[in-house]
Amino acid sequence: MDCQRIREQLGAYLDDEVPQDARREVETHLNACPECTGELDVLGRIAEGLAPQEPIAVPDALWSAIEQRLDGDTQQETQRAPLTAKFHIFRKPMTAAASVLFAVGIGLVAIALLHETTPTASASTVDFSVLLDALPLDAQKALRKFLTLYDAKEIQPYTAHSHAPDLDFEIPETLPGGFRREAVYALRFGGGPGITAEYYRDDGEFLAALFHPPVQQEDFGTHKDRPCVIGQHRGHTVEVGPWRLVHLTDPTTCHCVLSRLDLEHEVPSVMAAVAPRTTPLDDHGHGGADHG
Amino acid sequence: MILTESELVARCRQGDREAQRELYSQTSERIYRLLLRMTGNQDTAFDLAQDTYLRAFARIDQFDGRSAFGTWLYRIAVTEALQFLRQEKRFRRSLQEDARETAVDSSSEQTAARMDVNEALAALEPGDRAILLLRYQEGQSYRAIAETLECEEGTVASRLNRARNRFRGILGKGYAPWEEGEAAEHPKKGDTGRAGAPAAAGKPASRGRGRE
Repeated sequence: MDCQRIREQLGAYLDDEVPQDARREVETHLNACPECTGELDVLGRIAEGLAPQEPIAVPDALWSAIEQRLDGDTQQETQRAPLTAKFHIFRKPMTAAASVLFAVGIGLVAIALLHETTPTASASTVDFSVLLDALPLDAQKALRKFLTLYDAKEIQPYTAHSHAPDLDFEIPETLPGGFRREAVYALRFGGGPGITAEYYRDDGEFLAALFHPPVQQEDFGTHKDRPCVIGQHRGHTVEVGPWRLVHLTDPTTCHCVLSRLDLEHEVPSVMAAVAPRTTPLDDHGHGGADHG
Repeated sequence: MILTESELVARCRQGDREAQRELYSQTSERIYRLLLRMTGNQDTAFDLAQDTYLRAFARIDQFDGRSAFGTWLYRIAVTEALQFLRQEKRFRRSLQEDARETAVDSSSEQTAARMDVNEALAALEPGDRAILLLRYQEGQSYRAIAETLECEEGTVASRLNRARNRFRGILGKGYAPWEEGEAAEHPKKGDTGRAGAPAAAGKPASRGRGRE
């Protein structure tokens, strides 16, 4: 028996998972082959290295946390995929071009700022220029830079609302156009928390959504923010090549969608999915250099 | 009164909290240990362990008893971990790429150092990590691994071989504990090839998974 064939069986041999006759065959070979014996020794050391070396203590709080969630919601599993089912968001597939929906939520600052003429100390500026400047080169990389800038940390989707309790948004598992939610991040804008949801389609295109409170300053750098209509809503958009950062603001939340979707036909259904409770034709033209 | 596993499961189906607690007590160390080593992070393992048990209790009607409850639970835990790690990987890789753009590689000294087994494990693709841990940390048989990973038993050996080879390859870049002597003999040889080892640590396996 040749060494190559033996070596393919050495792992199973070590694991005691080869039949008895094959086992004898391997042992016969090993008795005559120091190289394969050495190989078996290396495999054994790998197994030893992976074996548990010391007992791991389960955190005392783990059962309490489980029990708390069992008590709080006996339908925890549906809560994990959450918040989407509750609001009955149904969409039909779109044939749209690739898109990126980008959702970030920042909490706590919001409503009062709408009614103040000057920002409070806790108001934060969201620097979208980092994202917008890099869009033409690599949209995903642009997104990463933005996430990095705001100290993003990936979170479980069902915890998003607890990270940004004052924001009103949804991050359903799927969005129109065949996009599936892949990751959700908590961000920090100034002193406030934020959430970003990232979606991908089977063809590799991604889409994300950003939610934040209606801050008075949004920095779009050299890019122009202009009013637009999103379905039944008035919003704003910043366009960079094929990419479009569309934002729709209500008294509690600015919902931003970054995508290459068609503004007239495709963005509205996505926006409706992530901002299902925004009042139609409610123009809170937020922030931005043009109307800050 | 000591209840059998099937009795406990039956009681769990009725929402019996004590039975849930007992099943948790019997399995939590294994599940948490697996999740901890899969993710390398206590907070994440804590969260995923919660999700694992909540999912298990919510779906306990689907447990048909053909496998051990622990094996079924492993399957849920591995699924949770893989889902989390796939998402995390995308983000972490992006951050690493960004970091590499702005930082000159000054890690040659670090990369020449012996790579820790856990570091190598962390650099593996999650799927490879899972199968190695199920076998060598949790001591699962090939049959149990097949049930946990929902694959054919006949493919477990080859998948383990591949995972071992990748693990060994990653260790080889930083020198496994049993290869330190070899490293000392030709310390310059790998300088170029290893210069980016930590940053690229996840890539060999990543390329290997490209066929998925």
